[in-house]
Amino acid sequence: MRPYSIKRKQDALWHLIALGTLTKAHRPDGWSPDDICKPARVAMIDTSVAMDHPNLSAAIRRDLAFDLFSTRLGAFPGLPEQKEIGDLGLGDAQALVAGLPGCKALLCELMARLAPDQPPQMGTLQPAASPVFSGHGTAIAGLIGARPARVPYSQAHIDGPADGQLPLPYCGADPTCEIVPISTNFDADPEQMILAFLYAELVRADVIVLPRGIEDPFRTAPQLHAIDFLGQPLGELTAPCPIPEAQRELWSELAELILKISHRRPVICAAGNAHEEFGIYPANLASEDNGVISVGALNAKGWPSSYSPEEGLTVWAPSNDSEQFDSGEVRLNPERLAEIRYGVPPVNDNHKYSAFGIISTDVPGPGGYVATPFDMPEREEGLWEYGSYFCDFGGTSAACAIVAGFMALGRGLGQIPADADGIAAKAWLLSKCQPVRPELPNVMVPHLHAMPFEPSDPDEPDEP
Amino acid sequence: MTDFSIMEQYEFHVTTQGLELVERAEDPQSSGGGTGALAALGGAMVARSAKGALTTLNRNRNRSRNRNRNRNRNRNRNRNRNRAEFGTQDDLGIQEPWEERAKLYELRAEWMDLPMPLPPSLPELREQAVDLLKKQVLLARPQFAMRREEILNEADLELSRYLRPYGIETHGGYEATIHLMLVVLALTDEIGLYYKARWNVPRPNQIEPRLRPFLAAPAHASYHSNHAFQSFAIAFVMSRIVPEHPGSTQLFLSARRIAENREWAGVHYACDTEAGHMLARMILPVLEKVLEKNMLAAQAEWF
Repeated sequence: MRPYSIKRKQDALWHLIALGTLTKAHRPDGWSPDDICKPARVAMIDTSVAMDHPNLSAAIRRDLAFDLFSTRLGAFPGLPEQKEIGDLGLGDAQALVAGLPGCKALLCELMARLAPDQPPQMGTLQPAASPVFSGHGTAIAGLIGARPARVPYSQAHIDGPADGQLPLPYCGADPTCEIVPISTNFDADPEQMILAFLYAELVRADVIVLPRGIEDPFRTAPQLHAIDFLGQPLGELTAPCPIPEAQRELWSELAELILKISHRRPVICAAGNAHEEFGIYPANLASEDNGVISVGALNAKGWPSSYSPEEGLTVWAPSNDSEQFDSGEVRLNPERLAEIRYGVPPVNDNHKYSAFGIISTDVPGPGGYVATPFDMPEREEGLWEYGSYFCDFGGTSAACAIVAGFMALGRGLGQIPADADGIAAKAWLLSKCQPVRPELPNVMVPHLHAMPFEPSDPDEPDEP
Repeated sequence: MTDFSIMEQYEFHVTTQGLELVERAEDPQSSGGGTGALAALGGAMVARSAKGALTTLNRNRNRSRNRNRNRNRNRNRNRNRNRAEFGTQDDLGIQEPWEERAKLYELRAEWMDLPMPLPPSLPELREQAVDLLKKQVLLARPQFAMRREEILNEADLELSRYLRPYGIETHGGYEATIHLMLVVLALTDEIGLYYKARWNVPRPNQIEPRLRPFLAAPAHASYHSNHAFQSFAIAFVMSRIVPEHPGSTQLFLSARRIAENREWAGVHYACDTEAGHMLARMILPVLEKVLEKNMLAAQAEWF
């Protein structure tokens, strides 16, 4: 049972009000879509996206959507009917790969693949981009750049008046930006991630978002490689398979490439959902002298979410919370304490718990995170109800997607100058941040007007 | 252009009952004006609150919980049903997946000619066989007892190595996930044999007579490794179902270990492993179509 608060309703866009991008009346807060000089471009390295979602269809650059899941050098799932991919308006990444021979070779292959006369897909090899299994990417895209939309009842296959339109009053942090989905699989493969980052660079993304970790065998748990055991690093001894030298070098080059790209454009990474020390890789690359931004999660009460890493992060952003019941912290949902009954220490952090989640877009119909609430299968086409368009999301994935949208808005409004590099963009973000609480001076939360974070789920006053 | 008028007229609230669409002001475009039309949205499911809520739907909270897979990797483990541990030959019995096979052959044109690279030449294979000879020497040493045991256990593709990364090896409630894995094994076995027959590459011990395989070399061709293909196919399928689960990346490592164990056993070259991986990656879009219902059923066990 999901622990929604029984005490108060949750505004589905509370996170945008908290960021100062929307007013409580859901109007743009101090800005207007007319103020956008040029829509910012967000490269999203994640799973595929349900590109036809009514709140997303105007945000997704179908012509640039790129799939590396099934195709080594990528396919274009948004161009199924075209014979050639045409001129993609790519930038130059040659200087970026100087000193990185593996990346240079891959860039060479990639550039050949992206020539205007190349087909969207290689022969019978198809992209792996079925919307049905695009839940994570669809939720991430919605938080970044969904637009309010209306959908004809007939299109949604929802019963309703023939000429009526179903309103879907939902938007992302920057409802004017354009999103370039770069879909990947989750194999521990440095080549795939190098290609993904190179493509993000080539399409001149203003912001790159990585709402996932990368399973680099040396950087995911670097402390294991520092432990000498029986004369060898423990990390090497416990690896399921030996890492070939060539792949070892590619992993190193990937780390360097991410840092180099971050100097050109911000790379926003999820910090992890298991209270990892200093965050997961590559969020843990974030430092003052690069443009990597490591994002932690903050709940609606203004406390770091119980699962969020806390050290070495750049910023925190709204997300959901979870219960914690261990020696590190006891943070339980006060509304279900009666279910737990035993072992709850009298001194605890239960007051920090928030039941608020993050609502985002979901795969319509079958698939995605929200299946039908009815006791019958989902329709193969269309929906039973509008809830299938949305899901309840969270984690630092959600938080970093929200920050990506926030920075895209800053770029679109011209607050981040067009010629700003990754470090300058990161400096803009930090200039918009305030400490969430006096006792947590390092937990910095962005606000478009640099205002302090206002809890959407404030503590109840103590009963007399 | 972003139409914020929708946001001014409507908003979503999250309540204990689900996502609630609330009308702030009259909107002539929404429904023709009447509340009766709105009630048709969800039939009996529709409620209308005193404060103007149009619909209150999406009631099943279990289907819409938060998605922090990384910290909930073993959620739903405590199911009431207990299942015997999988891994024995008896457990691998599923009904012949005839519907899936029929669908697979409907889509025959999509998978019969995937751009697989040609296998290495005989001299190149002989060179790769040298590495297998080294592995043969090492495998006989005492410290490789665990690998020998793994090779024997994996000879028949038992499921524990695929289930363990997700922590569901001994837990009930994941029947559809397990069924899906078994169907993937069945379909990819057949696809793999088709591709193997195309090139008919000899087994390593046919190229290098000094190689004494730890296992009997199967009677079909070497390139590609079907153990690699089938194991990686499961990993790629799971990568689509629960991408954010940390077990999904671990499953790729597990699949690689299974595949490399076949090299240690002397029945496959390293190029067979890589080709199996390549084919599994390329076949995924087809499997996604053929197995959509199976994958959705498996996914429902995780969300």
